[in-house]
Amino acid sequence: MRHFTRYSTLAKGLFTPRGRQGKKIVVVDVRLTPTARAADYFLQIKPGTDFEVFNALRALIKGLRLGNVDPGTGTVAGVTLTAWQELAQLMQSCRYGVVFFGIGTTMSRGKEMNIELLLTLIRELNRYTRFYAIPMRGHGNVTGINHVLTWQTGYPFAVNFSRGYPRYNPGEFSVVDMLGRREVDAAFIIATDPGAHLPRAAVEHLQKIPTIVLEPHCNLTTPWAQVVIPVAPAGVGAAGTFYRMDNVPLRVKKLVDFPYPSDEEVLRALKERIANA
Amino acid sequence: MLKIVNGQVYDPINGVRGAVKDICITGGKIVAEEGNKPARPGCDGVEIIDASGLIVMPGGIDIHSHIAGPKVNSGRLLCPEDHYDYFTVATPWQRSSTGYTTPGTFLTGYLYARMGYTTVFEAAAPPLKARHVHEELQDTPLLDTGCYTLMGNNYMVMKVLSDPDGSRRQERLRELVAWLLGSSKGYAVKVVNPGGVENWKWGRDKVDLDTPVPPFDVTPRQILLGLAGAVEELRLLHPVHLHANHIGQPGNYRTTLATMGALAGRRLHLTHLQFHAYEATPKGGFRSAAPQVAGYLNEHPEFTCDVGQIIFGPATTMTADAPLQFSLHRLTGNKWGNCDVEMETGSGVVPLVYRPQSLPNAIQWAIGLELFLLVTNPWQIFLTTDHPNGGPFTAYPQVIRLLMDGDYRRAQMERLHPKVKDYTLLAELDREYTLEEIAIITRAGPARALGLKHKGHLGAGADADVAIYRPQQDKEAMFARPVYVIKGGKIVVRDGQVVDSCYGKRFLVSPPAPNRLPEELEEDFAAFYSISLSNYTVEDAYVARPEVIPCA
Repeated sequence: MRHFTRYSTLAKGLFTPRGRQGKKIVVVDVRLTPTARAADYFLQIKPGTDFEVFNALRALIKGLRLGNVDPGTGTVAGVTLTAWQELAQLMQSCRYGVVFFGIGTTMSRGKEMNIELLLTLIRELNRYTRFYAIPMRGHGNVTGINHVLTWQTGYPFAVNFSRGYPRYNPGEFSVVDMLGRREVDAAFIIATDPGAHLPRAAVEHLQKIPTIVLEPHCNLTTPWAQVVIPVAPAGVGAAGTFYRMDNVPLRVKKLVDFPYPSDEEVLRALKERIANA
Repeated sequence: MLKIVNGQVYDPINGVRGAVKDICITGGKIVAEEGNKPARPGCDGVEIIDASGLIVMPGGIDIHSHIAGPKVNSGRLLCPEDHYDYFTVATPWQRSSTGYTTPGTFLTGYLYARMGYTTVFEAAAPPLKARHVHEELQDTPLLDTGCYTLMGNNYMVMKVLSDPDGSRRQERLRELVAWLLGSSKGYAVKVVNPGGVENWKWGRDKVDLDTPVPPFDVTPRQILLGLAGAVEELRLLHPVHLHANHIGQPGNYRTTLATMGALAGRRLHLTHLQFHAYEATPKGGFRSAAPQVAGYLNEHPEFTCDVGQIIFGPATTMTADAPLQFSLHRLTGNKWGNCDVEMETGSGVVPLVYRPQSLPNAIQWAIGLELFLLVTNPWQIFLTTDHPNGGPFTAYPQVIRLLMDGDYRRAQMERLHPKVKDYTLLAELDREYTLEEIAIITRAGPARALGLKHKGHLGAGADADVAIYRPQQDKEAMFARPVYVIKGGKIVVRDGQVVDSCYGKRFLVSPPAPNRLPEELEEDFAAFYSISLSNYTVEDAYVARPEVIPCA
């Protein structure tokens, strides 16, 4: 809810001095959530219709007629055309709009096609007003690793170094696919819990190979990992840099002394050992 | 100790024009020769580089290049196709990386060093994201670096400028500029399309020098004059580094001349001037206004500029000039991303390809070269491609050949759209640059404009950054592959290959003002920034090897 109070709905800005009252909030989701309850409008769509929704909005903003939808009684994705028309009008006429989108859009059927279409919609809206899209990142500092990989290798994720230089191909070199094809014969895991987040087939393969984890807590990976190296969590026992999901880099401080080394210290020590082996 | 013997030295700052001279290096610095004692190889720990028949110059300095930070990374992210065919493999001295117009940080360092460049300034850092810029610069090897802090569309700057009380206004602005520089660990004040980016955020059109810009109704002229005044009062070494209004638009040379006129008699650096020297034609196209702009510069030695030469082939345009990027996207239909940095600026990225057969591109190419050839004093004009906006920095040797070799230039003009001769006068210019002039526009000049007294020359006390080239008829081949490059006294490149790795320094300034936000603005900061004041300043941990250059 910090997102609400600090950044999006309740926060008062230089040009939105009345906070929540100066803003219109629309939630498009498959179910009624606490976020949806706090919105001015809630459009409950059928699951898996993101692509359809973005396409309909693009058409309405361009002033095109939706051929197979009756202008009076028709629906798109289970929501009346009138509601979509109102939304299109609102998006086009606002002074400054932001779409926050989450894994419902990025991980449902269509995946990158959904995002491409959403970004096309945003691009077209900029002919009328200023409109932005910000992905709601699930885990802590995903944005950070994307940035570091991009400036070092040129690619944000799914980077393969097996030929001595970085190659990029999501779907081929991404972790779920590599594990699913059982191409991986050892795993080194930093700052994430694959046991909790990866598909079952991927986890089963991880359990069969040597898996090393840097992790301060017990989680769903540590019980079966071959080696667990406890580390000090960044922002508590070690300093570090976090990239907020709108790409603002922030320093996190070391608050207390921790009995464990930081991720960086462990990685550095391992690198030295390997280099001098 | 390292001694470079019998080389033909080009060191314009010390007035050396090709004389055969020995250069001695100790402890990363160039030192005076100790008498005429002949150095004996193997004795006294003296390492000798025999530079007989070779050309010795100070290491190259790029005064304006986009190599690190949020928008550069957005460019890399937006264009993986830029990387697939261009990569380095890991070696004991090199880390692997990829990219052509937007190379990764490691590759950026290697590619610059392999051309004999040893110092590069990142041209645009938004203060809120300066930490990101410094993180990338930390990962850029073999180069001394610094960055310029964006201020031309900053809310607090505009708010202070809207204060009717003149003396209070200037004092607050001075404090604010000092604090922004200190917080972002920047080297100079960068101004991009003053007021124009903010105006676009309000859905409005392009701005002239006297267009009032919401929300504070200050004009680009006020922003520019205010910041120039603050820079002078703070005695910063580099003047305002200006990307003027109306970039890339036909007829914009009038704005460029008016901008220079507004600051006549004061120092100013105009960046990528090529993009600001277009005269409108009746049909809506543009022709070269290089003669008018160069003519003005020739009468005003207080101004410096860099060219922003375009290079035929792929480029990735990236700038804090958000409206420009949106119109480029509309114009080309190419992919596009813009960003809004809350209280401070905007930015955008659009990849494109410059083609010799495209008339507008051919005219742009010719205008860049005209500026080089028409500005008579080489200390006022520096070599840049506004990397990667006009093309990648790896094309500098090609530009050097275009400047030094009239026949080559004329041959290249034959490749262009045939009508380019109607819109430019490049074909009539016969000037050829000398090696000394090249040494000025790529090293000595930028060092002087940046106020770096220990860079860009080979006199005693200078940093031991040296590039040694083998003279060749083909100047492109000569400057693309130095025989040796020495960085801080260490040989880092041999025959165009990286042979050692090290990380350079970061240049900072410490202006004579308290490094804190003026009190009246603290409330605004707390109310309107999405981070708190105590988290704003870039910590010292992000600059491993700082070098603070004392103000003038």
